[in-house]
Amino acid sequence: MARNRVLSAVALTAGVAMLAACGGGGSDTAAEGSDSGDNTITWWHNSNSDPGKGVYEQVAKDFEAENPGVTIEISALAHEDMLTRLDAAFQTGDTPDVYMERGGGELAAHVEAGLTKDITEDSAEAIEKIGGSVAGWQVDDKTYALPFSVGVVGFWYNTELFTQAGITEAPTTMDELYAAIEKLKAAGIQPISVGAGDKWPAAHYWYYFAQRECSEDAMSAATTDGDLSDECFVRAGEDLEELIAAEPFNEGFLATPAQTGPTSASGLLATEQVAMELAGHWEPGVMQGLTEDKQGLGEKTGWFPFPAVEGGEGDPESAMGGGDAWAVSAEAPDAATDFANYLLSDEVQTTFAENSMGLPTNPAATGSVADPALADLLTYRDEEASSVQLYLDTYFGENVGGAMNDAIALMFAGEASPQDIVDATQTALDNE
Amino acid sequence: MADDLTARSTSTGAVAATPRDARAADLAPARSAAGAVGGQRRRRRSVSSNARKRLEIAFFVAPALALFVLFVVVPVVQAVRYSTYKWNGLGPMDDFVGLDNYTQALRDTVFTDAVMHNLIIIVLSIIIQLPLGLAIALLLNREIWGRTALRVIIFVPYVLAEVVAGVVWLMLLQPNGVIDAMFDAVGLGGLTQLWLGDPDVALGTVMVVLTWKYLGLAIILFLAGLQGVSADLYEAAQLDGASWWQVQRRITIPLLGPTIRTWGFLSIIGALQLFDMVWILTGGGPANSTMTMATYLINQGTNRSLYGYASAVAVILFVISLIIAALYQYLVLRRDNPQAPKPRKAKA
Amino acid sequence: MSAPTFTPATGRPALLEDPPPRRGKGFSGGNVAIYAIALIVVVATLGPVIYAILGGFRSNPQLAADPVGLPDPWIITNYVNVLTSPEFWRYALNSTVVALITTALVAVFGVMAAYPLARYDFKGRGLLTTVFTLGLLFPLTVAIIPLFLMIRDLNLTNSFWGVALPQAAFSLPMTIVILRPFLMALPKELEEAAQLDGTSRIGFFWRILLPLSGPAMVTVGVLAFVASWNSYLLPLLILNDPAAQTLPLGVAGFSSEHAQDTAGVLAFTSLAMIPALIFFLAMEKRIVNGLQGAVKG
Repeated sequence: MARNRVLSAVALTAGVAMLAACGGGGSDTAAEGSDSGDNTITWWHNSNSDPGKGVYEQVAKDFEAENPGVTIEISALAHEDMLTRLDAAFQTGDTPDVYMERGGGELAAHVEAGLTKDITEDSAEAIEKIGGSVAGWQVDDKTYALPFSVGVVGFWYNTELFTQAGITEAPTTMDELYAAIEKLKAAGIQPISVGAGDKWPAAHYWYYFAQRECSEDAMSAATTDGDLSDECFVRAGEDLEELIAAEPFNEGFLATPAQTGPTSASGLLATEQVAMELAGHWEPGVMQGLTEDKQGLGEKTGWFPFPAVEGGEGDPESAMGGGDAWAVSAEAPDAATDFANYLLSDEVQTTFAENSMGLPTNPAATGSVADPALADLLTYRDEEASSVQLYLDTYFGENVGGAMNDAIALMFAGEASPQDIVDATQTALDNE
Repeated sequence: MADDLTARSTSTGAVAATPRDARAADLAPARSAAGAVGGQRRRRRSVSSNARKRLEIAFFVAPALALFVLFVVVPVVQAVRYSTYKWNGLGPMDDFVGLDNYTQALRDTVFTDAVMHNLIIIVLSIIIQLPLGLAIALLLNREIWGRTALRVIIFVPYVLAEVVAGVVWLMLLQPNGVIDAMFDAVGLGGLTQLWLGDPDVALGTVMVVLTWKYLGLAIILFLAGLQGVSADLYEAAQLDGASWWQVQRRITIPLLGPTIRTWGFLSIIGALQLFDMVWILTGGGPANSTMTMATYLINQGTNRSLYGYASAVAVILFVISLIIAALYQYLVLRRDNPQAPKPRKAKA
Repeated sequence: MSAPTFTPATGRPALLEDPPPRRGKGFSGGNVAIYAIALIVVVATLGPVIYAILGGFRSNPQLAADPVGLPDPWIITNYVNVLTSPEFWRYALNSTVVALITTALVAVFGVMAAYPLARYDFKGRGLLTTVFTLGLLFPLTVAIIPLFLMIRDLNLTNSFWGVALPQAAFSLPMTIVILRPFLMALPKELEEAAQLDGTSRIGFFWRILLPLSGPAMVTVGVLAFVASWNSYLLPLLILNDPAAQTLPLGVAGFSSEHAQDTAGVLAFTSLAMIPALIFFLAMEKRIVNGLQGAVKG
């Protein structure tokens, strides 16, 4: 460490000398970031298309109006892009003041590195309102972020295409799903799109199969002790292999991105090229951004939970999901915490719900969800699902999660066996 | 340090002394340099001029040396150091693992496949671009209308940023995109593929795009080399009744040897470090079928925060490049400078 | 005192020499096959570029209906949108600044270092030259992880210096390898004449050597500029603030953020090509000479 610091000093001197040598410098730009002026808040979010983008611009303006002297610098980024940049920002310590945390292993690592602010006290009011959902963003009983949207993953489908293929009831078991796939194929419709190019959308299938196959004990052995020795994890891979063998996926799914452009998995569903896609609560919003008329699938949007797996030891009612929470970086000004609280206020959460930007966590906004599909999802989350299990890759953190997702994506390419997925994940867990 | 101090005081002394002396001292190195060529050396220099010279050298070399040491030497040495630790970049680096990272990398089939992809790209680049580039250069090496414009046009893909070219090709290669439409238009619709989506095809597609990007460089370098071939040779050969092809094969191509070998080296080094184009087109996918050493490195290093492991990959990349560069130098480039007067430096 | 003037023609190294034009000699071409091949080469080479430029003049429905086709009607809104967006100009400005800093550092430090290595006779000259030359063996990729962490420690993330300094450092070896033989080839009489006039070696460097090495400096400068302007990997890791990003990052970012707006992406990409195309094509000869010289030494 000491050596590093000496090195830095030398380099800095050299840098200064060069600045001087090159005639007064002047272009030492964007080194601002975390500590530029006390009242500028940098805020990164992933609603980069309307209405979300516009709503957030207005929210920032309202907050600035109520808090004179505070300026909010918004970066509206595409989801994938935001994740890449956030990773880089965490490495450099140049974290935006208010940003999104997904909970699990990632948040724990950020907390351990001292990057994220403990807002247990400053946000007590908001935390109380949100209730139980906040648990996923707590480390050692302290709260580090305010979940503003918690959703569950399930199948979004095109009701019209289902009817066209003669499917009258949404599938509730895997057998029914296979029957639906056959009917869609018979009607000349590509059944399912999957963004296996981004890996995580493909990995969701395996997580869900694991959740259906594995008893609660086996699951907690995996998540808390990092032990995947239970046979059920291999069976999850076998289930997935069977699904892939039925060839339900869109053409070229191996390189299909999740959400960018009309040929992405979401784009294919939005433009009615496929009948369904396994995705989270973000899907209607993403689809709206991907269609010319900004309507997405509109009236034709349907949703059903991941089907039950016969003989599985897991709870068929349990859901997999996760959410996004506003976190405040450790060095952010106090106004940033105020802003995060404001984002969870009845007012903003209601606007959020009215614009179908997600599934609000503030109960005051529950009734305001405009999109009927999202409203259904909210009902499912709050009333029907027995529990919500956090996405496994989020739970395990970027390193193990990445290795696991890689292996699952390889299975989609026919290059990994059920045992390979378990082995790759177990090896990564053991190396942690 | 002490040396420096004496140097400074004596040199000011020298300046204060007669200008004649200083001038004489200044003359010395020029003469001695001239003498060195003839194989003899003269050593008659005053202490003050020596010290002054040392200062001058320091003045000239120091900025470049400082920059070079700080941003090239130190990071390279650090990479070797990091490669023996397990480290995620956030906390202190204290988990020494010896050579574990190396054995882990060499055992990972994704990485060994990536090395293989780099080698395939090297071989294919040469097999495809050398004959094609040579043929086009030979055919265009004559007085034709629009020759200057042609030279400029051929150079266009090379000067574009790989990212920019990659984004355009990404759009062309979309399913049902322009490339597919062109296949349909000429009645080859049945041959369309998932150009970037099929693990069996993607590396070939990347190869085609790379050929598009870099064939122009080969042609331009070869054309430049051809201009150095004396026209008299052609005329003499023509008078002897040699056919066009005979002249090319017997005279032109052998004389182009050094240029071809130069190009080969640039091509190999570029292929070993290939990153930008692959990152934009496929990100290394699908199913790792286009993964290169560099994309693997970035994937593991910055996307997974495995800095120690990624550093080991970087060191392996370097060693492989070094071996290939040395082999090329030894087997191929050596011919270009057999009796160089000064010892040849390794080139990369 | 008047600096003695010399004609730079004497003793120029071969690598920078323009080949004498060859007119009416060799095999005169002109048959149809040659033109056909030339045409195929031109079409294959320019096809994607022209597609991008024309695509920028079309609307998304046009592009969707027929991927290959001429604009009908021609639409300029895509280009206007890009040209009126502050992002595009900011990316272009950032790229320019980073490339200029890199080029200036490389040219100034490079020629300074090459001078004693070429024209001084001192102990350690060979060693020093070897050290710089060995630098050619290290691609930036090898050092990228420590560089990334070091730039972070130096607090140079998101600053132009964080990209320009490493880029300049990695360009130095090639610069010195090109410049040294060039400086060595300048005639010895230069120094002798200068010394007879009472010019010191430093004065000689500034007043005589520097002006004479103009052509070689332009070559190394252009190479450094091209490398910096097109570079992606280092900026990708160092510049994560959109306000500091360069054009290649901008193009990559824009194309994923606006993926549904194909025409907009094509317009953005086309405009990003133009300044580079004009500049680099004008400098084509320099780049070729530099690349040849870099390996021949």
